[in-house]
Amino acid sequence: MADPAPAYRYIQERLGVDVKAADAATELAGLGVDSLSLLEMVFEMEEQFGVKVDEDTPPPRSCGELVALIERLAAAKP
Amino acid sequence: MSARRVAVTGVGMVSPLGATAQASFEALLAGRSGVRLHAPADAPKPLALPAGICADFDPAAAFGRAKAGTLDRYSQLGIAAGLEAWRDAGLAPAADEDREAWGIAWGTGVGGALVFERGYRDLFISGRERLPPLTVVQAMNNACASHLAIQLGLGGSCATYSVACASSAMAIGEAFRRVRSGAAPVMLAGGSEAPLAYGVIRAWLALQVLAPGDAESAPRASKPFQRARAGLVLAEGGAALVLEDWARAEQRGARIYAELAGYGESCDHGNLVRPSSDGQARALRAALADAAMTPQEVDYVNAHATGTREGDSIEVAALAAALGARAAEVAVSATKASHGHTLGGAGALAAAFTVLGLHQGAVPATLGADADLDPECAGVAHVTGAARRGVRLRAALTNAFAFGGSNAVLAFRARGAD
Repeated sequence: MADPAPAYRYIQERLGVDVKAADAATELAGLGVDSLSLLEMVFEMEEQFGVKVDEDTPPPRSCGELVALIERLAAAKP
Repeated sequence: MSARRVAVTGVGMVSPLGATAQASFEALLAGRSGVRLHAPADAPKPLALPAGICADFDPAAAFGRAKAGTLDRYSQLGIAAGLEAWRDAGLAPAADEDREAWGIAWGTGVGGALVFERGYRDLFISGRERLPPLTVVQAMNNACASHLAIQLGLGGSCATYSVACASSAMAIGEAFRRVRSGAAPVMLAGGSEAPLAYGVIRAWLALQVLAPGDAESAPRASKPFQRARAGLVLAEGGAALVLEDWARAEQRGARIYAELAGYGESCDHGNLVRPSSDGQARALRAALADAAMTPQEVDYVNAHATGTREGDSIEVAALAAALGARAAEVAVSATKASHGHTLGGAGALAAAFTVLGLHQGAVPATLGADADLDPECAGVAHVTGAARRGVRLRAALTNAFAFGGSNAVLAFRARGAD
């Protein structure tokens, strides 16, 4: 199972929210994440993990989806 | 002269003196300095210089971390100032009315320099191949204006003026023309700058126009009109005014701070860096004529005076030429002594301070000039020592004179001065 720590750490640093305390269903939009900031965040995650997010990947809409995406990238880290 | 008048109904500012217009103005009147020794920790070679930094401004608190991360600092400062002016004018943030003719005019000299610099660092130093996807839209000079237009639903003109140190004064002047002509009932106008990128600082150092200083002397390193002046102090900041059709403002019961009555511009067409008193005087005369204002009405001038050896005395000569015998009686101060030179944002800071001064009957002093006024800058009534409060001001001018020779002068009248 993927280590969830990097995902939580990243979200904590990037958005200033403790997602462990938040419901996985929390909408990213409610945390001030719009399409532009999501673009920037996905790029940062790609750089951090050295993995390219597949262009077909649907953009995460909730905290849970974002955590899942980061975990997937971390697991795929070469 | 047009029958339509232009009211200033909102003021906003983020400056080295404070994170709001009122906090900045109070600090200015109290004689505080927002200039500190700036030693960037990530500079590849050691670097320390006096600079004006908006230390009280917290972008994460203002926008949330996610949004703040998509904005260059010049946009962060500008959007915060613009939104403050909007709130101050009592206007709703979202468009629940037809704002298709409303617009924004913004000014910035160097725009998104910090984002550019981050990109170059990634490419050349870190050896990366890819840049963050928002690099273009963060760094572009009209990013700040567009963010404000989007947020406030402004559907008319959205233009950014890049005229070095006259950028935001010209933006306010152009916005003024749009309101006075009837093209726009409301315009948000101002400018912002965040020039403290390592490369930008090095470029200014190369030009040999920056004031030196250490930790102790930095707060007084900016010395306009003073014998010991040795150059300008780079600073970041932003300011904005809401300009509104006077009849509209009265009808909705808005607080009117002052009237923007005239705008004058000129080009020295002589030298890129050495200003010309003739060119400046032409802009001053044009502003007075545009406002149908006589020199006798002018009680205060917020000078461009940046603290350079040549520039300050040339500006006094321009005031003497344009205002004639009245020049010797006109209160003049250079607020850059307190906050440094915000380049493209400077005209907006000057305008915002002047509007607040007209409204509150207060005149800021030139910090440090009480002990060391330069006889070469004699010819006007320099405000030195403590700021003046409780004075009756009828009209005031603000000067913004740019490298490249572009000059912009705004002429304001106190409400009910006529």
